[in-house]
Amino acid sequence: MAIITAGVASSHVPLLGVASDFGKDADDYFGPIFAGYEWTREWEKAEKPDVVILVYNDHASAFDMRIIPTFAIGCGERYKPADEGWGPRQVPDVEGHPDLAWHIAQSLILDEFDMTIINEMDVDHGLTVPLTMMFGKPEAWPTKVIPLAVNVVTYPPPSGNRCWALGEAIARAVASFEEDLNVQVWGTGGMSHQLQGPRAGLINREWDNMFLDGLIGEGDHLRRIPHIEYLRETGSEGIEMVMWLIMRGAMGKRTRALHRHYHVPCSNTAIGHLVLRPDNGEGLDMTGSDTVHAIAAE
Amino acid sequence: MTGPRDIHAYLAEFEDIPGTRVFTAKRARQGYHLNQFAMSLMTDENRQRFRADESAYLDEWKLTPEQKDALLKRDYNRLLDLGGNVYFLAKVFSTDGQSFAQAVSTMTDMNFEDYTKMMVAGGRSPEGQRSIKEGR
Repeated sequence: MAIITAGVASSHVPLLGVASDFGKDADDYFGPIFAGYEWTREWEKAEKPDVVILVYNDHASAFDMRIIPTFAIGCGERYKPADEGWGPRQVPDVEGHPDLAWHIAQSLILDEFDMTIINEMDVDHGLTVPLTMMFGKPEAWPTKVIPLAVNVVTYPPPSGNRCWALGEAIARAVASFEEDLNVQVWGTGGMSHQLQGPRAGLINREWDNMFLDGLIGEGDHLRRIPHIEYLRETGSEGIEMVMWLIMRGAMGKRTRALHRHYHVPCSNTAIGHLVLRPDNGEGLDMTGSDTVHAIAAE
Repeated sequence: MTGPRDIHAYLAEFEDIPGTRVFTAKRARQGYHLNQFAMSLMTDENRQRFRADESAYLDEWKLTPEQKDALLKRDYNRLLDLGGNVYFLAKVFSTDGQSFAQAVSTMTDMNFEDYTKMMVAGGRSPEGQRSIKEGR
């Protein structure tokens, strides 16, 4: 059976993709940001996830004002990097996992999450920047990816509680997939940032760290934060953090933090990154890869 | 159910945030053609046509005279007021060869250099920026 073995949260600032693509990732400005991901890159090499369910938002790339799905799941074979106005990023195509994606889509709909199903789309920096941060510059991405796009652009976005509950439903769906797969769930976007208006540039280090703290352990108070609090405290684009709650919801009752990184600034944004292990008695340790199959056989 | 049940109260609170235009349905409707115009700049062919004659290119879209004027002037705060959304307007930033932060800084009362310094020093503090009514 498929098992969710870890959760990863990360900002997905487009400038990080530019820094990586143009070899600036070790300079004075970007060096400290990328250094905070080195631990995760080594860890991912040992973990070898088969599939990443990658929660992100599209930034007017695949979806424009014509169609605004609240929750959309990619069930396609592969996805190309989008041209966001300066040509597509020169990174590998993203390979999907249609079998698991369709299984999750069907399960979620029966579980009363009425998903939009996407078979063809390009994926923008929201999806490709986290892959770069976690895997560097490989010839091909070392994992299959199920894109899960959330509307956080046109109001209202889904509530934090609904996102958390979707994560719980994703966990149920993954657990009922028969093939042995090592699955990670990533929540991306955030942390505090505002990209518009006279208040642009807002950063709230204290609130961001409260949010990071809240993802660790047993607490579930984050799911009850209303939209207005994200807007007031973390800037208009800080609302992206509701997507991290889908990842957290998928981790089950309790989590343990394996790695944490926070840095200000990257362009207009506070960078946050967290690696979580579900801590519900499984004693998961993926070091050396094939563990998932041993667990599945128990 | 933890969300607000009263959509009017939910939306009214957004107007209390200083220096911020939340992209509500009202703004999305007002800015529909403005944002779709911006989407058209996702292809190199259209970017070149736009650069060659901005005014003629804009006339192909159902924009209001105010929207057209604000676009030609790259007055992004006004474009937000007229229904523009920053992720859509970002296609104009990149057509102009401007970085996101550079374009965003034009919406503040700072020049790009001072804006960059503010960000490197930790960003804009939320103190006094949370609520107009409550002044906190």
